[in-house]
Amino acid sequence: MTNYLPNLKSLALTIALTLSAILAVNAQSRSISGTVMDAGLGDPVPGATVMVKGTTRGTATDVDGKFTLPLQPEDQVLVISFVGYLTQEVEIGNQSTITINLEEDIQSLEEAVVIGYGSQDKKEITSAVVGVKPEDFNRGNVSNPAQLLQGKVAGLSITRPGGNPNNAFNVRLRGLSTFGANSSPLIVLDGVIGASLENVDPNDIQSIDVLKDGSAAAIYGARGSSGVILITTTKQGKREGATNVTVNSFATLDKAANLIPILSAEEFVERGGTDFGSETDWREELIDDAMSFTTNASISGSFGNSNYMASVNYRDNNGIVNGVGNERLNTRLNLSQGALNNRLRFNVNLSFTNLAKESINDAAFRYATIYNPTAPIYEDTEDAIEDFGGYFQRNLFDFYNPVALANQQKFVEEVKSNLLSYRAEFDILSNLTLSAQYSQDRKNELLGNFWSMQDYQVGFGAAGSAERITRDRAQRIFESTLRYEIDLSDKLNMTLLGGAGMQFTKNEGFRARVRQYLFDQGWNNLGGGAIRVGNFTEVSSYANEDQLNSLFGRANFNWDNTFFVSASVRSETYSGFGANNQTGIFPAFSVGSDFTQIFDMGLFSQFKPRVSYGVTGNLPPSPTLALGVFGNGNRIDLDGDPLTQNDIFVGIVQNSNPNRDLKWETKKEFNVGLDFGMFNNKVTGSVDYYTRNISDLLFNVPVAPGAPNPFDPGRFNTASSTWINLADLRAAGFEFAASVNQIGNGKLKWTPTLNFTIYDKTTIESLSAGDLGFEELRFATPGSPGQNNIPIIYNRVGENLGDIYGPRLLGYTEDGQYILSTTKEDEYEKLGNGLPKGEFGFTNSFMYGQWSLNFFLRGAWGHDLYNSYRGFYENNDPGAVTWNSVITDKTPTNPLVVSTQTFNSSYVEDASFIRLDNAELGYNVKTNSANLSSLRIYFAAQNLFTITGYTGIDPEVRTNDSENLDAFTSALSPGIERRNTYFQTRSFTMGVTVNFK
Amino acid sequence: MLPLTFGLGACWELDQEVLDGVTADDIANSTNPNLVNVLKASAYSRIVGSWGAHNSIWSIQEVSSDEMVITHKASDWEDGRQWIKMHQHEWETKEESFNNSWNYCYTAIGEINNLIIQYPDVVELKAELSVLRALVYMWLIDAFGNVPIVDENSTGGNPTNNSRAEVFAFIESSIKDNLDLLSDGTNKYTVNQLTAHAMLAKLYLNAEIYTGTPRWADAETAADMVIQSGKYSLTSDFFANFAERNSGSTENIMTLPYDQNNAGGFNLPMMTLHYLNQQTYNLQEQPWNGYSSLEEFYNSFDDNDVRINSFLEGPQYAADGSRLNDISAEAGDPDGQPLTFTPEINMLTPNAFRQAGVRVGKYEFANGATSSLSNDYPLIRYGDILLVKAEAAFRQGDISDALTYINMIRARAKVAPYNTLTADDIFDERGREMFAEASRRTDMIRFGKWNQAWWEKAQSEPFRALFPIPQQAINANPNLVQNPGY
Repeated sequence: MTNYLPNLKSLALTIALTLSAILAVNAQSRSISGTVMDAGLGDPVPGATVMVKGTTRGTATDVDGKFTLPLQPEDQVLVISFVGYLTQEVEIGNQSTITINLEEDIQSLEEAVVIGYGSQDKKEITSAVVGVKPEDFNRGNVSNPAQLLQGKVAGLSITRPGGNPNNAFNVRLRGLSTFGANSSPLIVLDGVIGASLENVDPNDIQSIDVLKDGSAAAIYGARGSSGVILITTTKQGKREGATNVTVNSFATLDKAANLIPILSAEEFVERGGTDFGSETDWREELIDDAMSFTTNASISGSFGNSNYMASVNYRDNNGIVNGVGNERLNTRLNLSQGALNNRLRFNVNLSFTNLAKESINDAAFRYATIYNPTAPIYEDTEDAIEDFGGYFQRNLFDFYNPVALANQQKFVEEVKSNLLSYRAEFDILSNLTLSAQYSQDRKNELLGNFWSMQDYQVGFGAAGSAERITRDRAQRIFESTLRYEIDLSDKLNMTLLGGAGMQFTKNEGFRARVRQYLFDQGWNNLGGGAIRVGNFTEVSSYANEDQLNSLFGRANFNWDNTFFVSASVRSETYSGFGANNQTGIFPAFSVGSDFTQIFDMGLFSQFKPRVSYGVTGNLPPSPTLALGVFGNGNRIDLDGDPLTQNDIFVGIVQNSNPNRDLKWETKKEFNVGLDFGMFNNKVTGSVDYYTRNISDLLFNVPVAPGAPNPFDPGRFNTASSTWINLADLRAAGFEFAASVNQIGNGKLKWTPTLNFTIYDKTTIESLSAGDLGFEELRFATPGSPGQNNIPIIYNRVGENLGDIYGPRLLGYTEDGQYILSTTKEDEYEKLGNGLPKGEFGFTNSFMYGQWSLNFFLRGAWGHDLYNSYRGFYENNDPGAVTWNSVITDKTPTNPLVVSTQTFNSSYVEDASFIRLDNAELGYNVKTNSANLSSLRIYFAAQNLFTITGYTGIDPEVRTNDSENLDAFTSALSPGIERRNTYFQTRSFTMGVTVNFK
Repeated sequence: MLPLTFGLGACWELDQEVLDGVTADDIANSTNPNLVNVLKASAYSRIVGSWGAHNSIWSIQEVSSDEMVITHKASDWEDGRQWIKMHQHEWETKEESFNNSWNYCYTAIGEINNLIIQYPDVVELKAELSVLRALVYMWLIDAFGNVPIVDENSTGGNPTNNSRAEVFAFIESSIKDNLDLLSDGTNKYTVNQLTAHAMLAKLYLNAEIYTGTPRWADAETAADMVIQSGKYSLTSDFFANFAERNSGSTENIMTLPYDQNNAGGFNLPMMTLHYLNQQTYNLQEQPWNGYSSLEEFYNSFDDNDVRINSFLEGPQYAADGSRLNDISAEAGDPDGQPLTFTPEINMLTPNAFRQAGVRVGKYEFANGATSSLSNDYPLIRYGDILLVKAEAAFRQGDISDALTYINMIRARAKVAPYNTLTADDIFDERGREMFAEASRRTDMIRFGKWNQAWWEKAQSEPFRALFPIPQQAINANPNLVQNPGY
């Protein structure tokens, strides 16, 4: 991306100086001098233009923001302007010195929108692209870039049910576009495709741009189907010739919120629960308020052709449960230097991150809720002390002391990632630029898992067990582009872009687990585990490498700022496609026109309808799927005599049959939209409607085992499934976003921003290809005990993806037995759907003098959730002797239900919600200090309240099934709140941001 | 930069390498002399696979018979009623266990076919693999009947069904045509000549069921080949054949070489034991409290029959001798909290007592066992062959020969010899001898007992004598036709 700001600035200076020179000849008696300041930062603004209104006379401010301008008697008003600020007019009157505070022009900052391989004026954009700036980001303790955008972009769904600080966010753009290839949008970080989010700290982000529709994303070809998120980091100082030093530091207090009500010890015993004679509030024992601390410091500057930004970001996040948290140190250095009069430009972006996470077994959350409340935490018996470290344990089915569980199993993960990116640009001609970028993105994860020998769940049987896992990912990308811009006529401007790229990805890893220890040494001494084969042990490694070659081109036309056309194509050749289908072509086309340039549109200052169409793809998630690789089978001792070891072999097994035709998934998306501005862009917004058809999804499909393999002629199917491309999905949606910039005349200014999406939920048009495939796919059994065989999420051809099916509860008999519509699986009814009908975000930003208040409401409607806690632990059934019961607002109590818990409609709840997601109150302290340019103090709160009828832990949309680790079917089973869900948290943050001069 | 930009064409043709596995091409191009043994071992490892696991072919054979049941214990083991339906002969075509069994057999067949194609000139290998494939087809013909025959010569796409008689002929010729090329040794883990005879004996014993034409004389002849070889004998201790270290058994003819470390999948302790029995055997994982036997079947054993120890019955203790106590025992359970396995089961569904039902104790549960046993599973046992001989003789009217052989079995079980013999005597003796060896369903069908009523099971329709072709298999291969009645 070229930075045009310095050029504009020098141009402005030249004009201004020339003008001053002319004016100086006609020397006058009167003059005015003054200083132009940044209203927000209190810094001088050098290079600002100061003109006398209605004339061509003016000057520019110097490095200190000062100016002097000779006046003529008729001069009355000065016009002060500078890129990035609102132009201001000042009455001269009798003043001879004057100070002007320029306000930042938020709208104008949004003018340039980053698109793939460059940026474009917002007015020229003809596809659905949304830019988000730091002032729009979510507030509070936000340590993940995805969280910055939660609820901020219509159609971009970002969820993290429960409050686990270690969990990743599920990100989905415009719903599901694949079963499991890659359902999250592609991240492009400073031009590096597929970079991992670990490489960027939220504090270093200058802008995030979301390529929503197919035509915008198509320039990323076979990786663009799930949408693209472009993240741009800060590269330079805020002012030419000045250094910025910013320190931002905050502390956050997390508290558990919205715990599901359960029976007290007394009530539990009253209902016939086993009485162990004690009284324990297990959740209180597990939970503690948690403090987290974050400090970000950065230095940036811009001097001539040199720009830099260096930052360090330290985050120490602790969960509300001891043993859950993460600590993260990120360092970034962005450098750019121009040479040959800035015709040749070099960029170096370096980012290094160390992240250390620790976690507990999430089952502790379940047991903390339903473990026997009359049980003590510890018991002073010889057996308990010897076997379980003094913890109370009983040999019952699915019954583990949650405090012991949380303390006697440990899971840590260290992530070391670095992103090195080098870029050179050379202007061969003033309008012909060649650029090349090489990047290397590496990520290493080192995990340690530990089960104490006194851990009753696993470690006791295994006599102590420990595991070490390391995973390493390296992605190298080389890309080169040539950009040519020309005015074909007075009115027609054309920009051409051509490029080629190669991407190499290598994944490898190693894993070892042993058991039977004399001491609890854990993963630090795997050699101390005596048993290294068999149950609870592991030795394995993996590696895969792939290559993706791309050619791409794009042409943009701008006719008189009135008609805009963009067309692009990308071809992708991937080593992981089947031999018969190695190259995919992904074209896109879009067109738009700003009607305000043609007609008098009254209130409208912009009215730009646009239409776009684009084809994108999704790569197979593993490069060897097409090959039907043989993996390891049993170890076989041919003669069965363990003393002779030269006849022991590991057999080979084929888990999937080869498919020489395997190819990319294809998404075709059509988008009509309207970008509008009203009242001189006081009100801005956009409306979009899209339809998308997704076909050729990758899925492991049952085939006739033993039969000849049609996808690999001459061989037989040795596995009962083959990866093929199948299915057709259709989805559509309507998106709306609008913002009113600074309502109010006085000191109080209000900027409301609203966005919402209405989904036409994904419909499954087909789940087959030829003879192969399915009429329906069922997934997600509620679980053990008792509900582990009947799947409740159905994906039926002709229906919506992810419907919840089960028997309907018609009522209860007098003695509290279910009356169910049926017990036959074939007669189950559709009870709901886990995906939302719509989502919205509503930001309100208030300014009052030095005060700012920002609050953000977010919600989703029209989605259902299976409340697993109610579904397992609500009835006074035989299980209630062992496990505590929940008593929610929806729990029937008169009579108590006594049926054995089985899944039915009463546990499927409407989970629509509105949440005050975050709010922040800030105050800019006025400072005259020689060292400080600004000082801001803020208080923020997250998850202050939620309005919902849902009685589970968190009504947040479950786009995936957290207990289904198969990426391919997890997305096909939305809508289940599992019992192991981390409790919700409420956070309070206090922080300070200081800018030093 | 320009040369870089346009030099990309040079490596445009991409070849995906496999770094952590092998492809069919790697296998075809390998010159490693050990490979053939490894591949053969892999084919065998397929049939070791999930035989002894829950939801397997063993499960459907056992739970559909009158010797085993998985009761529905309130919140546990409802499991979509699959096992209730299995017990009551009301299973549907889509049951997961049918599909597992089908895939278990046919993936092995696919692998065997590929291997035969790969080494077309190694006649001994082809012979051994053909007989191994015949063994897999013996499971298919017994469970599903009209299954497609796919061998190394099959071409085209999805196969169609063959009749049960055709499958029978295929198995018979596969064994007979290759018998002479097999090893003449007694390795228990691979098929050899004696294994082949034993397979034929078991096949012919059921010929009337499979084809409509009895082959009793052939069954007897084949059994005689095994018996007269003199290579096998009954072990004095019946349970030595099912012990953790049973590889030295003189009675087991072919076994699946399970090993807790090398070859998992024999999960019986998990499947049958009560949760609390974890302490009895110091098991590494908590058992699931699923499979038990039926009271009537248990009562068919005399108290002094050593084989009655095939069941775990009565009070249960921890390894240290202390009594196990199930504090979650149902209020109505007459045994109360002290854990006691009783032959009587209060009901099949929905609230069977957690402790009710005697458990499968035939296979030794070693102290400290993992969820997978190391006991080798006896697929073909000499004791069974003696009973085949006895039954074949009996069916041809040779009662005295029949008595000789059946009484060998009874003598070892320390029960009095029979002086007279009825078909039911043979049926009952087979039941006591072959409990938990996946033989009961086949026997019940052959003795005409299959569709009768028993505990918590009404009379069932004759078509239930065949399991359905799994619906999932039909979905994957629309050329398949469902068995009659389904």
